[in-house]
Amino acid sequence: MSAEPIQALVDVGKGKTTRGVLRVIILALIAGASIASRLFSVIRFESIIHEFDPWFNFRATKYLVANGFYNFWDWFDDRTWHPLGRVTGGTLYPGLMVTSGAIYHALRTLTIPVDIRNVCVLLAPGFSGLTAIAAYLLTNEMTVHNSAGLLAAIFMGIAPGYISRSVAGSYDNEAIAIFLLVFTFYLWIKALKQGSMLWGALCALFYGYMVASWGGYAFITCLLPLHAFVLICMGRYSTRLYVSYTTWYALGTLASMQIPFVGFLPVKTSEHMPALGIFGFLQLLAFLDYVRSAIPSRQFQTFLWLFAGGTFAIGLAGLVVATSAGIIAPWSGRFYSLWDTGYAKIHIPIIASVSEHQPTAWPAFFFDLNMLVYLFPVGVYLCFQKLHDEHVFIIVYAVFGSYFAGVMVRLMLTLTPVVCIAGAIAVSSLLDTYLDARSPKPEEQVAESSEKKAPKSGLKSTDKPLVGIYGLWSKSAVVAAMGVYLLLFVMHCTWVTSNAYSSPSVVLASRMPDGSQHIIDDYREAYQWLRQNTKEDAKVMSWWDYGYQIGGMADRPTLVDNNTWNNTHIATVGKAMSSREEVSYPIMRQHEVDYVLVVFGGLLGYSGDDINKFLWMVRIAEGIWPDEVSERAFFTPRGEYKVDAEATETMKNSLMYKMSYYNFNNLFPPGQAIDRMRQARLPEVGPTLSTMEEAFTSENWIIRIYKVKDLDNLGRDHISAAAFDRGLKKKRAPKKKGPRVLRVD
Amino acid sequence: MRWLPAFLSVSLLASGSFAAKKSTEERFKSFRAKSLSSTPIKLSDPSYRELTSTPRDYAAAIVLTAMDNRFGCQLCREFQPEWDLLSRSWTKGDKAGESRLIFGTLDFSDGRDIFMSLGLQTAPVLLLFPPTVGPHAAASPDPIRYDFSNGPQVAEVVHSWIARHLPDRPHPPIKRPINWVRWISTTVISLGSITAMFVAWPYIIPVLQSRNVWSAISLMLILLFTSGHMYNQIRKVPYVAGDGKGGISYFAGGFQNQYGLETQIVAAIYGLLSLAGISLVLKVPRISDVKLQGVAVIAWGGVFFLTYGFLLSVFRTKNPGYPFALPPFL
Repeated sequence: MSAEPIQALVDVGKGKTTRGVLRVIILALIAGASIASRLFSVIRFESIIHEFDPWFNFRATKYLVANGFYNFWDWFDDRTWHPLGRVTGGTLYPGLMVTSGAIYHALRTLTIPVDIRNVCVLLAPGFSGLTAIAAYLLTNEMTVHNSAGLLAAIFMGIAPGYISRSVAGSYDNEAIAIFLLVFTFYLWIKALKQGSMLWGALCALFYGYMVASWGGYAFITCLLPLHAFVLICMGRYSTRLYVSYTTWYALGTLASMQIPFVGFLPVKTSEHMPALGIFGFLQLLAFLDYVRSAIPSRQFQTFLWLFAGGTFAIGLAGLVVATSAGIIAPWSGRFYSLWDTGYAKIHIPIIASVSEHQPTAWPAFFFDLNMLVYLFPVGVYLCFQKLHDEHVFIIVYAVFGSYFAGVMVRLMLTLTPVVCIAGAIAVSSLLDTYLDARSPKPEEQVAESSEKKAPKSGLKSTDKPLVGIYGLWSKSAVVAAMGVYLLLFVMHCTWVTSNAYSSPSVVLASRMPDGSQHIIDDYREAYQWLRQNTKEDAKVMSWWDYGYQIGGMADRPTLVDNNTWNNTHIATVGKAMSSREEVSYPIMRQHEVDYVLVVFGGLLGYSGDDINKFLWMVRIAEGIWPDEVSERAFFTPRGEYKVDAEATETMKNSLMYKMSYYNFNNLFPPGQAIDRMRQARLPEVGPTLSTMEEAFTSENWIIRIYKVKDLDNLGRDHISAAAFDRGLKKKRAPKKKGPRVLRVD
Repeated sequence: MRWLPAFLSVSLLASGSFAAKKSTEERFKSFRAKSLSSTPIKLSDPSYRELTSTPRDYAAAIVLTAMDNRFGCQLCREFQPEWDLLSRSWTKGDKAGESRLIFGTLDFSDGRDIFMSLGLQTAPVLLLFPPTVGPHAAASPDPIRYDFSNGPQVAEVVHSWIARHLPDRPHPPIKRPINWVRWISTTVISLGSITAMFVAWPYIIPVLQSRNVWSAISLMLILLFTSGHMYNQIRKVPYVAGDGKGGISYFAGGFQNQYGLETQIVAAIYGLLSLAGISLVLKVPRISDVKLQGVAVIAWGGVFFLTYGFLLSVFRTKNPGYPFALPPFL
């Protein structure tokens, strides 16, 4: 009697449909969890767009929703990069904006009143749920155990490496691109396994979507040919590979060329060449395959040699000619810096200045992946056990992805999916082994193993036949320990997300002495001031980091922004910031600058301020004007970067220094002014400004805005006009005599 | 005429001890003759003063360096061959001496006083003395200084810097000599390796097709990259550093720093954890002896637990706010 309900309970998990239903429920819960874990910032602050780039995407989305798709496609933006403007429609990846625009219109059609801002804020968490499901599908292609897929889904959902770019409000291309990346890989594996043209075409379709969304599509463009190449080298050429690869390449390349920003790059630049090369190589292999079936083998040998030699010679000659004629462009800077790691530092300071392009130190790996970072090799090793085509993919992806993640912090994002999948394979194999309720009997096992040899897989650690785990206690110990690790992983992910990745960086939070939260809202205060108090077309000069935010929040034209397409223009701003007023003023007049915005963290101890970024401005300006700006002049003779009384004259006279510390010493008793960020005591007499006047300083002095003075009414230069206003007597200039000239009669 | 005595005294001071003052043309001719036999000219205290004395109608590019092993100036030694190459190809390319540029090198051991008087703290420093008279006379007789703040420079970069400061004069291009030894050795090595491959092909094939080899290579690469090896490569971090008390500091402070040894320790920790994982998943279930299997489970499980705890404690030293830990390393 009592056994029946228990039996029924055990049987619940056995039926096929029940399992299916359970799996769907679990996946839905995982998607829910991955969305929920990204909402910290919305709950703590509000539904707001984060950081820098998302502000541009948000502004572009608003433009798309307001003006329609075709106007968006042809958008020329004259409110950025003044006076050059930017062909925005042709220089962005439209996937993100179009996606949220479509969602917005769909919801409107369903009569759900929704604000475009909320669509944008919640897009990334929504897509992270889809990414978890895509990871489930991809992992299921690797193993027979569905548990691995479910584990991969939850790992993908909460791994900080992915959360870092997909919290609510982080409205950036990566928000949808990682989903597209994983899903494209899934479709590729599916196409490859079945040799199916349909799946190949679907793969190409999602590849096209990926190209429309993120510059990181080059990762797929290089990884799929590499996978195909490794398979060919392993002697695994098959018609399946031929069909799936050629379908993907032909359709995918056509799809990618529809994006104006990409255009003809797929047939021109070197990072797309591997894909093209493998495409050609596969045609040759297919041809040889056909010839072998048609002619006798002895003739085939001769044919093969001649054919191989001829192809090689023609290919090499073609490559040399095309490169020297300039048809094939050399590697683009950003891509080149991935291979030759010293390249960016010397040649392109603008790339080196972006913190996302720095190499990754080991704590960042552990921080973003926790225990997955060492379960990852276990999973890769397990892939060697069966080594089907799809396992080769995981191995290639793992090695390739970890190299790139090591070179550039940002590419941790492309590594995370494979880490989650490999980690899930490892954990699920462990749990499968140790959660098996049936224990082998020692004596029968011996007899069984002697008669039946396990199929040889070629891996040393799997030479012996599989026996199973005997002791119940050892099973429970290992499973319990694994449970603890998994729990720790969840706690780690939550802690990291809540502490490191959920700050909007537009709004800062700090703790008051009594532990309550204090919101520092200087950025929005200052941008609001600009919006309310300046002319509609007042040009604002700032370092490029703040260009998108000024455009998005203050709606004012800017000189440079985060779309760093024109290095010279950025260097011009850098020169204006790092030169003396006499030099900067003409530059600002020429660019019709009305206001200058600087970020200053000295009062609050805010580290991301302009004085800390100042050396990059100097370096970038020095790259263009090496004779007028010199980094060396900003360092003291002992090689220190100082802002206090020991600062060099160049530093003290630079516009940036003056604007940062103008009137700062009036906040303190005489001689007590202290920069809390750099722990430096400032000189008693603060800097003076002649060519501009303070217009606005935010509550905590984080943002300071200066108005550039118009030309003097009396035709004096600003320095002497300001000196006159301060009540200094005009120095009697020596009589204008001019240089002595030797009179020759 | 008030400026004449002042000028005289300055030039007299600058020309220093040699009273027998040669004209600028004579000086250029004598240095030019020297530089044709060997360039850059190895300068000493008096010859430096002579070369740079005003008035001069020629330019002089002088590297102040410290080649002696005592100073351990890595940068000086790396730059010297590039400097020799630059001055050689410039002097050879400018047969007629139209650019009127003399290349010189002053070592610290030969010109201690010059270093003192210039107040130099670092080496190498490249000084370019522009002409003070003649058609290309510069406004100031002071030298233009080139700092090696971006590490060692190749000859081309310095060439373009000099060319920028000497406009309207010929700028002979740099001709790098063909490195015959390298060409020959590359050819020999590649031919040799092709032959060796051909002979040893039957023995190489099983290695190439062995899963064990490939799995070992992949795992090693992954461990290398995930433990921050590329960061070491790019940032050129020190292998290990002192802790200020005479001991060794194994772990760099701060989340964004690391030492070479540190990454190796971390790679070893990851490797041990992965090995424990692989053993638990693949090896232990294949042990047919009951007792042995029990011991193996305890051993690998224990290794896993302890190493993970240690890893967490290491991570806490890097990131002091990190709240999680496992028992023995609380």
